Amino acid sequence: MNASVASRTLRTLAAWVVVGLFFFPIYYWTSVAFKYGNDIFSRPPNLFHFTPTFDNFQKVFGISLGRGGVTVTPGGGNFFMAPRLWDSIVVATLSTLVAIVIATLAAYALSRMNFRGRHQFVNWVLSTRMMPPVAVAVPMFFIYKGFGLLDTFTGMVLIHALMNLPLAVLLMKSFFDDIPAEIDESAIVDGASRFTIFRRIVLPMAKGGIAATAVLCFIFSWTEFLFALTLTTTGLKTVPVVSSTFVTSIGTAWGNMAALGAASIIPAFIFILLVQKHLVRGLTMGSLKQ
Amino acid sequence: MKDSMRKAYLASVTDRFVKGQMDRRSFLRAAGKLGLGAGALGMGLGARPFWTMSQAQAQDQELKPNADVMKWLADVGKPFAGTTLKLATESTPPSNAIATQLKQYFEEASGIKIEIEVLPLEQVLQKLTLDVASSLGTYDLYYIDQSWAANFSQDVFDPREQLKNADLAMPNYNIDDFLKPLVDGIAMYKDTMVGVPYDIPIFIMQYRKDIWDELKLPTPTTMEDLLNASKAITDAKGPNVYGTSGQMKSGHYSLECDWTAWLWGHGGSIFDKDGKFCGNDERGLEAMAYWDKLKATMPPGVNGWTWDGEGQSVAQGVAASMLSWGEFFPFFDDPKASKVSGLMEAIVPPKPTTTLRTVQETAFGEIPGVGHQGGSSLAVSKYSKAPDAAWIFMQWATSADTQALITVLGGGTGPTRTSVYDDPRVKANARVGAGTTRHLPVVRETIANYMGSEPDLPAWAEISSDTIPVALGKYFAGQSGSAKDTMDALKSQVDEIVAKG
Repeated sequence: MNASVASRTLRTLAAWVVVGLFFFPIYYWTSVAFKYGNDIFSRPPNLFHFTPTFDNFQKVFGISLGRGGVTVTPGGGNFFMAPRLWDSIVVATLSTLVAIVIATLAAYALSRMNFRGRHQFVNWVLSTRMMPPVAVAVPMFFIYKGFGLLDTFTGMVLIHALMNLPLAVLLMKSFFDDIPAEIDESAIVDGASRFTIFRRIVLPMAKGGIAATAVLCFIFSWTEFLFALTLTTTGLKTVPVVSSTFVTSIGTAWGNMAALGAASIIPAFIFILLVQKHLVRGLTMGSLKQ
Repeated sequence: MKDSMRKAYLASVTDRFVKGQMDRRSFLRAAGKLGLGAGALGMGLGARPFWTMSQAQAQDQELKPNADVMKWLADVGKPFAGTTLKLATESTPPSNAIATQLKQYFEEASGIKIEIEVLPLEQVLQKLTLDVASSLGTYDLYYIDQSWAANFSQDVFDPREQLKNADLAMPNYNIDDFLKPLVDGIAMYKDTMVGVPYDIPIFIMQYRKDIWDELKLPTPTTMEDLLNASKAITDAKGPNVYGTSGQMKSGHYSLECDWTAWLWGHGGSIFDKDGKFCGNDERGLEAMAYWDKLKATMPPGVNGWTWDGEGQSVAQGVAASMLSWGEFFPFFDDPKASKVSGLMEAIVPPKPTTTLRTVQETAFGEIPGVGHQGGSSLAVSKYSKAPDAAWIFMQWATSADTQALITVLGGGTGPTRTSVYDDPRVKANARVGAGTTRHLPVVRETIANYMGSEPDLPAWAEISSDTIPVALGKYFAGQSGSAKDTMDALKSQVDEIVAKG
C-alpha cells in the first residue's frame, strides 16, 4: 500500500516536473510581454514580482488597430502587427487545407491502387522532403516574380502547401495503410465506386490521421521563415518574418517581440484545441497491428 | 546639489510624469527648478515605442512638416499620384520615424504611397542583392550600408545628376548641407555618389559619470585612461559592475566594428597603401594586446553579444562604459527602459595611442579614426519603375526639415545635415530623458574630427561580415593560437579574397 502511494506520488511529481519544464519557457516569454524594459533584464530575473504593463501589446497591435491616435498605413514598420498575425492565420490555414485535400487523394491512390512506378513515386515524394529550402528559394523568387505571385496570398499558400505535401502524403499513406483493404473490397462488392469508398468509408476512419497531419502542416507553415522572407515584400508578411523586425539598429525590442510571440501562440493553440479530440487517436493510430 | 543627484532626481520626475503620476504644471515647475527650460515640453508625452518616439509630439504644431515643403510636394507630386513606392530598410530610428509618424504627411500631400519593409540588416542586403541581380525593380529605393557602397554603386542614380532636373528639384534641398566627412565616408565610391547620407551611427564614448566621480577616475579621453579606469571599476565593483563592454559576437559584423576602433586607435589600418591586409603588423598586434587586456574588464557574456547586448549591459548597469554607437544614448536616458537614465555622459572617442595612418597610407578609401561610423545612404534604384516619384520621396526623406523631425521624433538619432544640429527643435530636446539630443554635439564633433570609415571595395561586405569576424571569434574562443597566428592567417584569407576581385 505504502509503496503504491509512494509510486503514485513520485509519478505525479515527475509529471509536474515535465509539465513545468515545458510550460516554463511559455510562461517566461509571456511574462516578458507584460514587463517594462528594466524588469526584463533585472538581476536576478524577476519571475513574479514586477509591475505589469500592456504597453508592449499596445505598441505592437494598438497602432494598427487604430488606437494611440496615429494612423499607420501598410508597410508601417514595427507597429503594424495585427494584420501580420492575420496574414499568418490565412496562409497557414489555407495552405494546410490545400495540402490535406491533395495529400489525402494522393495517399489513398498510393495506398490502394496498383500502378506502374508506384514505389518509385513514393521514393520521389520522400526525396523532395530532403531538399533544403534554401537551395530553391532564389529560383522560386524569379519564378514567382515572373508569374506575378510575389507578395500575394496565392503565392504563399501555394509554396507552403508544396512544402508540406511530401510529409502530408507520406503520413496519410501510412494512416490509410492501417485501414484494412478488406473494407474497401467488401464495399466494392456492394457496388460502391472508388470515390464513394474513399469519401464515405475510408476518410471518416482516417479522421484522426488527418487531424494529426493537419496539425503538423499548420505548425510547419506557421513557423516557416525562408520562403516567407524571400517571396514577400510589404503586401503580406508572416509572424516569423516580422518578429525579426524587432532586431533594430539600437538593440532588440524584447518586450515588443514577446508581445507578438505571445499573441501568435493563440491561433495555433486554438487550432490544436479544435482537433485535439482526433489528435491522440491519430497519433496512436497504427500502433496496433491486426 | 551634486550633478549626478540632480540628474537622478530629474529622471525620477520625468518617469513620474510619463507614467501619469504627475500633472504637466507640476512637472514644468520641477523641471524649471532643475534648470530646464522650454525643452522640457518635449519630454515623454504619451506612450513611447521602443525607440522613444512621442506620439503626442507629432500633434504639436512645432513638430509638423514645414508648410512650404508640403506645398512643394503637392505641386510636384501631382503627376505621380497613385504611385506606390517600396523601400527595404534596416530598423533604424529614421526609417521607423518615417514609417510610423511622418510618411502620412508625405502621402497626403503628394498622393504617392510609400511601403517600407523593415528588416534586420543582413536581410536588407539579401533583398537588395536579389533585386539587383534580377533587375526586377521590386524596390524603388535602396537603403545602402556604407560597407555595401561599392557593391551597389552601379545600380543607383547619382543624386547630383538627379538634381539637374529642375522640374523635380526640391527648393532649398541644398546637397552641400550634408556633412562632408559623411558624404566621403558613406556615400562616395570612386567618383560616384551612391545616394545621400541617411543615418549615422558612430562610435562615441559613453560612460557612467556617477561611477567615474565616485571612484575619482579621470575622464576616459585616452586609450590608457579607458583601460585603467575599466580595470579600477572592475576591481572595485565587479562582478556586479564591469568597467566596460563590447560587441564581440563571434562571426558577426559587430566584432569587426569593435576591432577597427582598437586597430585604428593604435595607429594601425586594415589595408596598406598597396591594398594588402596589414592588421597583423606591429601596430595591429599592439591593438590586439590592448583589446585582450580590455576584454578582461568586460562582462563574461560579451563573446555572445552584438551591439544589442552591449547596449543592454550598460543600460542595466552591468557595464560602466562603452565605445559604441551614439544612437544608444537616448535609450540610456529613457527611465522606462534603462536603469542609468541621467547617469550617462557622452564624449568623443579616446585619443589614439599614436598618429593615425593617413588615407594615403591605406587603400580602398579606408579612413582610420577611432569613431567608427556605420552610416547608410538612401538612393533611387536604376531598376525602379517610378524613379521620378522615388526621387521626390528621397528628397523629402533626407531634407533638413524632415531630418529635424526625425531627430526629435525618432529618439535623438544623429542627423547627417549640418543645419539640423542647429535646429531649435533639436536643441530643445537636449535634456535628460527619453529621446534626448544632448549627445549630438559630441556626435557632430566626432564626425568632424574623429571619424573612421571602412574601405570601399566589392569584396568588403564578405570580408567585414564573415572573414574577419569569424577569425576574430575563433581567436577569442581560444581556437586559433596567438594573436599573431590569427592575424597572419587572416591576412592570407583577406588578400586572397581581394585578389579574386
